[in-house]
Amino acid sequence: MISDRIKSNLRQEFKTSLLPKVGLVILIAIVFMALFAPVLATHNPNTTGHFDDGNAYPPIGVSYDSYEVVDGEREPYTVEFSSDHYLGTNNVGQDVFSRLLYGARTSLLVGVLGTGLAVLMGVPFGLVSGYYGGRVDDAMMRVADVMLAFPSLVLALALIGVFGSMSIPVPDPIVTAGFAEGMPAATTLPGTVTLVVGLVTWVWFARVARGEAMAIRNEEYVKAARSLGASNATILLKHVLPNSLTPVIVLATIQVAAIILLESSLSYLGFSGTTLSWGYEIQQGQDYLRTAWWVSTVPGIGIVLSVISINLLGDWLRDSLDPNIEGEGGGA
Amino acid sequence: MTEDILRVNGLSTRFFTEQGQVNAVSDLDLRIERGEVVGIVGESGSGKSVTARSVIDLIESPGEITEGEIWFNEPDLADAVADDYPEAVDGSFVNLLEVPKQVRRSLRGSSFSMIFQDPESSFNPSLTVGEQIAEAVEVQQRASANPRSTRAKTQEYSLGRLMLSTVLPSKKYVSEASRERAIELLELVGIPDPVERADEYPHEYSGGMLQRAMIAQALAGEPDILVADEPTTALDVTIQAQVLDLLDDLQDETGMTILLITHNLGVVARMCNRVGVMYAGEIVERGTLEDVFDDHVHPYTEGLLGSIPDLESAGGRLEPIPGNVPSLLDHEMPDRCYFADRCPKAMEDCLSHPPEYEGRGTDEHEVRCVLATQEYSEARALSADYFGKDDRTAVDKHADPDGFEDDVQPERAESTVEGSGGERR
Amino acid sequence: MSADDPLVRVDGLEKYFWENDSVLDRLLGDDPVPVRAVDGVSFDIRPGETLGLVGESGCGKSTTGETVLRLQEPTDGDVAFDGSSVYDLEGKSLTEFRRNAQVVFQDPFSSLDPRMTIGGIVTQPLEIHDWPWTDADVESRAELRTDGISADIVSVTVDDDVDKLVSPVDGVATVHVTVRSSDVAGDVDPDERGIAEAEGAVAEVAEDLSIDVERGDGIEVHVSVGRSTKQLRLDRARDLLERVGLSVDQLDRYPHEFSGGQRQRIGIARALALEPEFMVLDEPTSALDVSVQAQVLNLLNDLQTEFDLTYLLISHDLSVIRHVCDRVAVMYLGEIVEIGPVDELFEDPKHPYTRALLDSVPRASTDERDRERETLSGDVPSPRDPPSGCRFRTRCPKVIPPADLEIDQETFRELMTLRERVESRDISLETVGDEDEFDLEGGTVVAADADAFARALKGRLLETELPPRHDEIVEDALASVAVGDWEEATERLREEYESVCERQNPALEADDHPVACHLYDEEAGRREAPAPER
Repeated sequence: MISDRIKSNLRQEFKTSLLPKVGLVILIAIVFMALFAPVLATHNPNTTGHFDDGNAYPPIGVSYDSYEVVDGEREPYTVEFSSDHYLGTNNVGQDVFSRLLYGARTSLLVGVLGTGLAVLMGVPFGLVSGYYGGRVDDAMMRVADVMLAFPSLVLALALIGVFGSMSIPVPDPIVTAGFAEGMPAATTLPGTVTLVVGLVTWVWFARVARGEAMAIRNEEYVKAARSLGASNATILLKHVLPNSLTPVIVLATIQVAAIILLESSLSYLGFSGTTLSWGYEIQQGQDYLRTAWWVSTVPGIGIVLSVISINLLGDWLRDSLDPNIEGEGGGA
Repeated sequence: MTEDILRVNGLSTRFFTEQGQVNAVSDLDLRIERGEVVGIVGESGSGKSVTARSVIDLIESPGEITEGEIWFNEPDLADAVADDYPEAVDGSFVNLLEVPKQVRRSLRGSSFSMIFQDPESSFNPSLTVGEQIAEAVEVQQRASANPRSTRAKTQEYSLGRLMLSTVLPSKKYVSEASRERAIELLELVGIPDPVERADEYPHEYSGGMLQRAMIAQALAGEPDILVADEPTTALDVTIQAQVLDLLDDLQDETGMTILLITHNLGVVARMCNRVGVMYAGEIVERGTLEDVFDDHVHPYTEGLLGSIPDLESAGGRLEPIPGNVPSLLDHEMPDRCYFADRCPKAMEDCLSHPPEYEGRGTDEHEVRCVLATQEYSEARALSADYFGKDDRTAVDKHADPDGFEDDVQPERAESTVEGSGGERR
Repeated sequence: MSADDPLVRVDGLEKYFWENDSVLDRLLGDDPVPVRAVDGVSFDIRPGETLGLVGESGCGKSTTGETVLRLQEPTDGDVAFDGSSVYDLEGKSLTEFRRNAQVVFQDPFSSLDPRMTIGGIVTQPLEIHDWPWTDADVESRAELRTDGISADIVSVTVDDDVDKLVSPVDGVATVHVTVRSSDVAGDVDPDERGIAEAEGAVAEVAEDLSIDVERGDGIEVHVSVGRSTKQLRLDRARDLLERVGLSVDQLDRYPHEFSGGQRQRIGIARALALEPEFMVLDEPTSALDVSVQAQVLNLLNDLQTEFDLTYLLISHDLSVIRHVCDRVAVMYLGEIVEIGPVDELFEDPKHPYTRALLDSVPRASTDERDRERETLSGDVPSPRDPPSGCRFRTRCPKVIPPADLEIDQETFRELMTLRERVESRDISLETVGDEDEFDLEGGTVVAADADAFARALKGRLLETELPPRHDEIVEDALASVAVGDWEEATERLREEYESVCERQNPALEADDHPVACHLYDEEAGRREAPAPER
């Protein structure tokens, strides 16, 4: 479906600029971390109280001063890092590194599934609206406009209120196969959040698909198909859909990043169905920012890196695919 | 009275693309006399537009003029640059390729100006037509107040001034005099009610009107040479006739010189004194209109004329040129007559690249074809499948490196067209 | 249906597009504005002929073509194909119409789906119409010839569905089978389709079918289609590509790998796939270079003869029309102004528009410069607000003035233009006269200055000197304009100068060479003298 021309363009763009390479390397690393979290993790991320002294332990190479109250007297002492916990522990004594890995799982899972849901809802909606035009389009796009009128976070919160919280345990094949003892046997997919981010972002896909469909329906090959007697369904599936995919793909990449952010915001606000989430982790750590800064910072870096890397790839896709929509038509 | 205004010698323009070197224009000679209309005719991808842009110095990367001389006859300019660039001056002629870019740029508008095929994209949709023409007038006036200085043109019309003029109307770049001149120009090109029309925006103009407005803009600097690149291709015939009439009248009145680039042989016949026929980056036949239309030697000229359905009489089968326009990629251009593979009269002699021979018409008539020196002989003819079916496997994308000739899409893939051999006579 | 009946009959076809027609516009109370793309067009296309539809851009010729094919629903009017109305067709008969009427578009770059292979594009019509077709009522039969073998020992069975490839005659699809002894047949290539060998016997089928032969007690021959539907379609696509002059090994390539002329050939192959009777050619060569245009025109010509096609050729290029068409209809602003046989229309054009159109085309000959030509002034009016009466009157060099008006055509033309501007109030008063010569209060001139102002305005609007009587009338009217009374001015001018051309839209007479122009309108001719020639 992707022509050689596009492939060569992708290669060309990739070769000439550094940024997509950086993005790709980071993203591969994050995906790798998420996939093999049970193997890579040093501890079960849910296990609390690795140290029962109530201190959050710092990452390797860091120490901080604390004190203990003994008989009404402050007794200062230094909390040293433990080489067992690469990135330290949080305030309830959970391993930050392991939680980072598992957090990546949640983020990517919600990002990809949420985007997939949005594509599945938005693209058919947009294609039908744009292809038929007229009254159909008027009506359908008003629905979409209403969706767009709400700030996505507010809309998401409202929808969570409607659906309640729903957590779906997904069995972890690595653990089930016995490769990682002591790790959680299932990863929790925050079902409501996934549903909600899909519902919040589908409109963007609808709008992009509609724009494409409106342009494509006037192409002569669509008229030719119609004059051959092809049904509207055939034309939508065989001509309009394949030719409108390029911008949808570009948008999808960028939306994955946006959804990761949205998921983090939601779990930061406490609306996630799982505690193994970067956003939740940031919220947990925010009270200790002055002393145990790593508890919030580490997942924060995770969010920043994954969003940036995906956006870099999205830009690369856009730059290499977009001119080609015309380039292909222009031939020369 | 006939004095050359422009002499182009051995001009080669190349484009350095990913696919390789594209020889858009090769070893091209052109001579234009003051006050005449010279036409360059050819199909898409023949290099005619690139020729025009080379002359007027509008070649941009990845394109480059790699060889040749462009001698422009302008005594004032010759005096001005004689001290600094003695080797670029020959009498009243200046070799434009030997003087610095700024000097060349300063000639745009005042010595050369250009009109394009698509007037709609040549105007800024958010400014009135009058304002845009007045701007062109202003640029030229400032330049002539301070000749040969590009600062006058470029620096004063900077971003800062633009922003200033938006805030403070009194600081507008364009003076009242320029505005009046713009209205005069609009009247000159036959726009009714120029006073009112000057205040309208490009979208309120029809295609024909906009083309007139573009001509007005090109005339702002009273250029010596007007380069018209497919000026009527986007227009309907009745409007085309109006625009051609206009160009004709303007030329009569101002005596300016026109270099007309077109694919339409009818337009050439209507406008030009002398014609060059381009094929694969070369002028393959040149001469007076009569030389080329009535006394042509080159089989390509013959084929081009034979391809046009006759308006005056009906029927008859057309005699098209078989095959497609060739690739201009350097490594796909063998050392032979570039037309030989499509030529119905290809002979063994065509396997070496022909120089320009004297044609059989006037002194002006020159032809890049061995048929100028010898008769076609069956005995020496190449067999119909000499070049084979796969000779030209060049694909579309090689063509037209920067979309210069995207007006009509180039023909440039395998020669699989009907009866590639059968069409030969 | 007799041979003289038209294949396509277009009757009073109208197609309007509506502007300002969205829900929002309704809410804001904007009335929809009709754009009269096609406004009452009638013509016939006879079987086997090529009708040309010529006109400038925006005259509605392409919309006509698309509406005839029911790619657009008409606003009014009817198109009958083979005697039945195209817009009433449903279900099976609509499918049949879609099979019989095809279209080739102008733009070789947008008419092929960039994401489909050439094979996919050319087989698409076959897929949609479920080709190859087989009819259960058609019988299959074999005609057997033998050579060196007794016919008695040969038994032939033929599959029921061979009518997919063999067209039946009187309900019977006949295949021709030859069975030879190996001695007679010589060496055969066993991989070739339609030929099979078994122990001393070689069987061959003349049609494009597969054959099996088995030797038992006798010789058993079996004829079948032998290929999957998909394979059959690809084979057909190959044949079609070959027919339009492309090499057959390009089925897996994508459109962008082809040049404009080649793409146009692919589009033609797609249109031919279902063996239609009628093809609309919408500017089929406009995007091509002349030499390639000539190739495509020749191809279309050959195909017409070979497949008995009827063409509707839409083009703005008069020389193409002249070369290809049998009859020509000239369109202007949504209406047909003249229809006639191609030679008659080109050699003796009646309508002033047709004449001007022909005059405007530059000929590729050395006499071109000295040719007498009469070109049109002005632009085509907007189809949103077409002129009253004859639509061409705003540009016509031969407008008919009212009877006994003693001014010449050129002056009358100017007066028409002046009137139009008064009627549309398209005259700006601010710029009249020298600076500060006239005081404008609230957009109008004070009454005392009105006469002087009118003279100044007249000087600007009219180039020629008018005879005294008319001078007075015009100044009178312009004085009304000066004081802001546009209606009065409009009325005054209309009274004096209204032409039949603006009152009445001339009808296209039923005739061999009908023309819609009042100059040929006998009644009008008697009532009002035709304008003197310029």
